[in-house]
Amino acid sequence: MNSVSAVVLAGGEGTRLRPLTQHRPKPMLPAATTPILEHVFDQLLAAGVTEIAIVVGYGRNRVQTYFGPTYKNVPLTYVTQKNQFGSGHALLAAEDEVDGPVLVVNGDQLVEHGIITDVLDAHRKTTTAATLGLLTHIDVGEYGGVLLRDGQVTTIVEHPEDERPYRLNAGVYLFDSRIFDAIRAADPHTGEQSLIDGIQELLASDAVVQGVISDGLWTDATYPWDLLDVSFELFEAGIVDGSKGATTEASATIHESAVIREPIVLGPDCEIGPGAVVGPYVCLGDNATVGSNAVVERSVVDADTRIGAGATVVDCVTGVGVTIGNGTTIPGGPGDVRVGDRIFEDEHLGALLADHVTDRGGNTYVPGAIVGSDAVVETGATVRGTIPEGTEVRP
Amino acid sequence: MCGIIGYTGTERVASDILLTGLSGLEYRGYDSAGLSVSGESLMVYKRRGEVSALEAAVPDEGLDGTAGIGHTRWSTHGPPTDENAHPHTDCTESVAVVHNGIIENDQSLRDELEAGEHTFESATDTEVIPHLIENALTTGASREEAFREAVSRLDGSYAIAAVFSDSETVYAARHESPLVLGIGDDGHYLASDVPAFIEYTDRVVYLDDGQFARINPAGIIVTDAQGAIVETAIETVAWDPEDAGKSGYDHYMLKEIHEQPRAIRQCLRQRVTELDGDVTIEELASLDCDGPVQFVACGTSYHAACYGAQLLREWDVSAQCFLASEYDAASIPVSDGTLVVGVTQSGETADTMRALRAANRTGATTLALTNTVGSSAVRECDHAMLIRAGPEISVAATKTFASQQVALAMLASVLSETCSAPPVKRLRTLPDQVQWVLDTSNARSIAETYEDADAYFFIGRGYNAPVAREGALKMKEITYKHAEGFAAGELKHGPLAMVSDRTPVFALVTGDATATRTLGNVTEVEARDAPVVAVTDSPADVDRYVDHVLEVPTAGPRLTPILANVQLQLVAYWVANRLGRSIDKPRNLAKSVTVE
Repeated sequence: MNSVSAVVLAGGEGTRLRPLTQHRPKPMLPAATTPILEHVFDQLLAAGVTEIAIVVGYGRNRVQTYFGPTYKNVPLTYVTQKNQFGSGHALLAAEDEVDGPVLVVNGDQLVEHGIITDVLDAHRKTTTAATLGLLTHIDVGEYGGVLLRDGQVTTIVEHPEDERPYRLNAGVYLFDSRIFDAIRAADPHTGEQSLIDGIQELLASDAVVQGVISDGLWTDATYPWDLLDVSFELFEAGIVDGSKGATTEASATIHESAVIREPIVLGPDCEIGPGAVVGPYVCLGDNATVGSNAVVERSVVDADTRIGAGATVVDCVTGVGVTIGNGTTIPGGPGDVRVGDRIFEDEHLGALLADHVTDRGGNTYVPGAIVGSDAVVETGATVRGTIPEGTEVRP
Repeated sequence: MCGIIGYTGTERVASDILLTGLSGLEYRGYDSAGLSVSGESLMVYKRRGEVSALEAAVPDEGLDGTAGIGHTRWSTHGPPTDENAHPHTDCTESVAVVHNGIIENDQSLRDELEAGEHTFESATDTEVIPHLIENALTTGASREEAFREAVSRLDGSYAIAAVFSDSETVYAARHESPLVLGIGDDGHYLASDVPAFIEYTDRVVYLDDGQFARINPAGIIVTDAQGAIVETAIETVAWDPEDAGKSGYDHYMLKEIHEQPRAIRQCLRQRVTELDGDVTIEELASLDCDGPVQFVACGTSYHAACYGAQLLREWDVSAQCFLASEYDAASIPVSDGTLVVGVTQSGETADTMRALRAANRTGATTLALTNTVGSSAVRECDHAMLIRAGPEISVAATKTFASQQVALAMLASVLSETCSAPPVKRLRTLPDQVQWVLDTSNARSIAETYEDADAYFFIGRGYNAPVAREGALKMKEITYKHAEGFAAGELKHGPLAMVSDRTPVFALVTGDATATRTLGNVTEVEARDAPVVAVTDSPADVDRYVDHVLEVPTAGPRLTPILANVQLQLVAYWVANRLGRSIDKPRNLAKSVTVE
């Protein structure tokens, strides 16, 4: 198998990451300073993939303009999934682009290339209807679980709740063409055609589905604060080099009196003003600015964001084009966060400021605060809880 | 307007490379296309219509030969027909010629040749060239001498490539029309523009006016008019070959509209520092100008230039803006201190080039503001500033307009001493604000509402006036519908007579000082029952005066018009899309206008 083609499912919004996903899909959220999807492509390329089809849907313009027609000389084909009716439905959209066995991965989950290589190798050794990449992982309940017997998958479920010895479904699949009919044959649950249902259908039809247990980095941002962990894991795994010399783009400007504490990663055109202290564990996206004497720690700051003079920003996730005014304090630390109608206690999230939030300075954020896109926080406010998009917050 | 390409190398099927190259040049002109490959005899295929028509005419297995030339034509002499398509051959079919430009003495040459019993098959000026070569060959001249002899007889502008039967060599010459050579591993190329061969190589040599080139698989040789060999510099172009693809978009235009945030970032990169409020443009380090500034430009670039001139005037630098075709240095006061800025996307626009040459002759300092490295404008002018927008394939300019505006704002702040820091700071937030417009725009639904209007009017004041005219130009170009843009105050001095309930008016209402007066004009058109769409950064105040709002973020009075323009681009695109127009290649238009 000299040419390896992959389908990347990148059409979903990622509703649990709202409000960050208001304008762009989850695969385009930043892991360190580049979109999660770019890391996914890097790992696919490292595993020897030679062509990639991407199923795009929600926010597809963002994906297409960012990557264009090729990524590092690997041709990209975009397939539009008009409505998002589940992962199986997404794969069906790419059916015409696929000829022969196909590797399928999620565009919003970061998987180290070793896991992908293991799946490809296993398929080369024993050709089956499907080969699944698996991990031994504690939090199977949050994701998908697989039961194995003699290397063959017997059961696959989403969010397993019982205590059987489930392996984590890493979301790395190698299918032959039978999967498409299996997805079509499976009963849609609540109007969605899931890939998992398709695999269950394969199992029901007595097709052989094998599982390969690997290890390596596997990370998925389910909730906004996970974006911090995802980025930090990239530093730990060495996928992103956090040393100052390695990551400082030639076009970043750092004032000589600023202090940089590794690991950090800076995008092009960043500016760090005099006396600022940036790091450790800070990712500054393209064209971000940190004003004089500001302190930024353990934060993922997306492109075009400006942090004012004397601001303190800790455990913070920002979207693009956010302004954090002079002297605003985001002290960080554990706090209670509300997502939809669930409350998560003691999550490490100083604040989440979605795209284009404007903070006029001199404000304080209680840990766990989530501010929706385009909101304006006037000077002198204390921000807590969840603020809807476009809101004007007055003290 | 036309595009030419030549290839010689080890690849046996030259026609494939020529066809690929021609599709890369399609944006330059496209009412006919043709190619010729030298095998044992000279094979010539040409068709009226787009390159795909030519592709269908060429045998499926391709043409066996290692040297060839190709052409896409935009008619100047004679209607678009198979006969008038290039390449043209002589009576004995031993030489084929493609040409871009205009030969001014073609009638006298033609009379002379017809008297000498040459038979012409087409109405084009180009056809005199192969017959001139044939004449020279019969006097015993070598092929290269014959080519030079023929070219020396021509007056006018040209980029010419010729190929002889049973030969591996392509001969080329250039005078006032663009021509660039490409040096590849498996062969060498020549073309009007880099996208023709960027897939194969990024190493290029730009020819100067009056130079000749001979390319064969062994290498390229550039000579001057006297035949002396010229040392040439090989440059590497930074364009990514992949940049030419549509990347999943239906049209290049939509792709390029969405590329604007990135294009603006590229334009700003390493030029603006926010904390210091500084703009530094490296390539203009040696520019020292405090005298008056004159802009010359055409079409969309002219609208950008008007915007630049307004900025300079606000910042206490005397500035004027001229349509390049109307610019006459003889009757315009040009002093030694005058800086003449030519704004041209391609750097090849004939009208702008003529104006720049005229300005150079008067002793003024000249500056080219362009997207194309090494283009004619860059080489003609004393200084050049690049807008770095990347290749633009759609004939209707979108991202290059935004990049031109941003580059002009930077240029203005460099030239002016009184420019204040806030607009400089705001430049850095601009890409993100453009992205916001792209993410949230409701232009598509507005386009659907007004797709069958009789006409579209665009009004704006101050910095919005050029944007209003640009909005109308975009609408005309790609929808083929009547559209006009006015300074808002002009509306009541005539055009108001055309306003009815079937002519939506797009009002640009941004910036504090002019917004209220533009709203006054809005009420004038509403009284005539015209539907009004406002493009505004303060929807809460404007909403009650108008039927629809297209919202943009606030970027200050000077930069908000750049954002407003994005909304108008999207409206034009979606109207054209609903009407099923040929958006990337509108009828009668070409990307790079190389005739005056």
